[in-house]
Amino acid sequence: MVTEGTACAGNGRGVSSPAGKGAPAGKGLPVGRLFTVPGQVVSFLVLIIPLAVALYMSFTDWTPTRGGLGEAHFTGTENYSELLVWDTRFLEAVARTLIISAICLALEFAAGLGLAVLFMRRFRGKKILFSAFLSPMMVLPVVVGYTFWMLFQSNGPVNQILGFIGLSGVDWFKSSLPAVIAVILTEVWHWTPLFFLILLSGLNAVPENPLRAAIILGASPGQLFLHVVLPMLRPVIMVAFVVRTMEIVKLFDEVFMLTRGGPGSSTETVSLYIYKLAFNDFQLAYGAAAAFLVLVGSLFLVHLLLIPVKDHIMEEKR
Amino acid sequence: MPPRPLTLPLRTLLCCALILMLFPIFWLFMTAVKPPTDWNASPAIWVPAEPTLINFKTLFDPDAIREYGVGGVSRSAGDAVFGSLLASTVSTLISVGAGVFSAIGLSRYGRGSRSAPLVILSGRMFPPAAIAVPFVIIFSLLGLIDTYAGLIAVYIAVTLPFSTWMLKSFVDDLPREIEEAAMLDGMSRLKAHLTVTIPLIRGGLFATTMLVFILNWSEFMFALVLSYSNINTIPVQLAKYVTATAGTLYGVQAALAVLAMLPLVLGGFFIQQHLARGMTFGAVKQ
Repeated sequence: MVTEGTACAGNGRGVSSPAGKGAPAGKGLPVGRLFTVPGQVVSFLVLIIPLAVALYMSFTDWTPTRGGLGEAHFTGTENYSELLVWDTRFLEAVARTLIISAICLALEFAAGLGLAVLFMRRFRGKKILFSAFLSPMMVLPVVVGYTFWMLFQSNGPVNQILGFIGLSGVDWFKSSLPAVIAVILTEVWHWTPLFFLILLSGLNAVPENPLRAAIILGASPGQLFLHVVLPMLRPVIMVAFVVRTMEIVKLFDEVFMLTRGGPGSSTETVSLYIYKLAFNDFQLAYGAAAAFLVLVGSLFLVHLLLIPVKDHIMEEKR
Repeated sequence: MPPRPLTLPLRTLLCCALILMLFPIFWLFMTAVKPPTDWNASPAIWVPAEPTLINFKTLFDPDAIREYGVGGVSRSAGDAVFGSLLASTVSTLISVGAGVFSAIGLSRYGRGSRSAPLVILSGRMFPPAAIAVPFVIIFSLLGLIDTYAGLIAVYIAVTLPFSTWMLKSFVDDLPREIEEAAMLDGMSRLKAHLTVTIPLIRGGLFATTMLVFILNWSEFMFALVLSYSNINTIPVQLAKYVTATAGTLYGVQAALAVLAMLPLVLGGFFIQQHLARGMTFGAVKQ
């Protein structure tokens, strides 16, 4: 009889084991594989086929007005070279998405870590405050976008508060930099709770003995945090960054509600640009090419990010 | 080591953070109960002097707002609520239903492929815009655009990797000796999984169902590009609340936003202890 531990090693750490060995009773049909059939059928029908069609299309000049796919002319890699060499709007959108993502993640990490550290202290009403701090995460992205659109109106509460403290109001959506700042603040509000949640779970799991040892050896609270707690948090921090990066490079809903990419294209993310290409200008073939470039780029980025945490994510912990 | 108490400066800091976190939600709720004259007043009105439920009423009875002299709300939000409920519920049930079998298959009979988890994780990273283009192309060829069947198919496809992966982490937590005992008693594998494994992970099943429902309920872009006139969802309707005569219908829009987020905030409360696991693909457990 195979024990649980070995089976998990087979799954998680990539030690390949024949199907029969992992199964409780190694005979009969490969029942296990039958279990995954519904999932595979669905993935095939609704992911693989559309992707294959779109991949073909991205090498053509098809637009919906031409009718069936048979009317498309094969143009080779023209769409791709156009995007990568001439389409500055696309390249700018890529750069903008990466920059906005980096700033948001840094701010979310700092704020989330600060909050999590506060939550390690003793105070009353912790449970209810914990729920309150998680609530932004549960709000629909579209609703978040709409709410912040109201907050940042030129006669809205944000400018009012700026007025109270003696600063002049800003027309948030009329020039580039304020619009980008509004987008970043919205994202940070929405997703700081996720960093908070993950980092707090990590802090709670830090074992006590190394801390005691460091205190006995005379470490100051600052040293304790920097040299003992943070290194032990590293895997959890990496997981938080990976998860958030995967989400934020897709940034669309909030920006759509806040600025629609404007003014001009100063807050246009990659997702928004592809959306406009495909569904406002109906350049579906060109849009498909852009989509595939983004897919490949995203894949590359996520695998790059996953290298340091792969084992942490896939290892079964108990 | 007992935790140290929160000192006064830190307490103040925490209060400030709390206000920042709750203010946008407060503003949304206040806007939802403002009469049209207060919607976009200058200077902005924080708390309406005469709170009203007219915005909520207008959602389902577009003419109700006319008593305030605001016209042009042409569409009831009823079909958006119906559409969201239909698409989210059906796709969530199918996604979790298929996902639980995939999860058992992967956890109990998995062949230990190293790339499988990576494929699943990568699937979560594809920008919806990138997947939406192929979907729209193939759906327009198949006549599935602007149908709930099409929207539901998309929702199942994009949430299935998520539900599979999250459920797998719950099945992994379950000692397989329990199922083996049932099988030694003469149960078939299928029956053992149906009567032993699945009931034992019901907590995880519930949390996964809630999270997948939240993902589907919040989804915006696919619904936006796949809907014209026959189908509608709440996020799409939210983006549409602008009329030619009255401009943005702040209060009505806010009322719909409140209706949309209430179930999620409440639902999130129930699955709080599984939230970290759900959002990190099982990598972090609370």
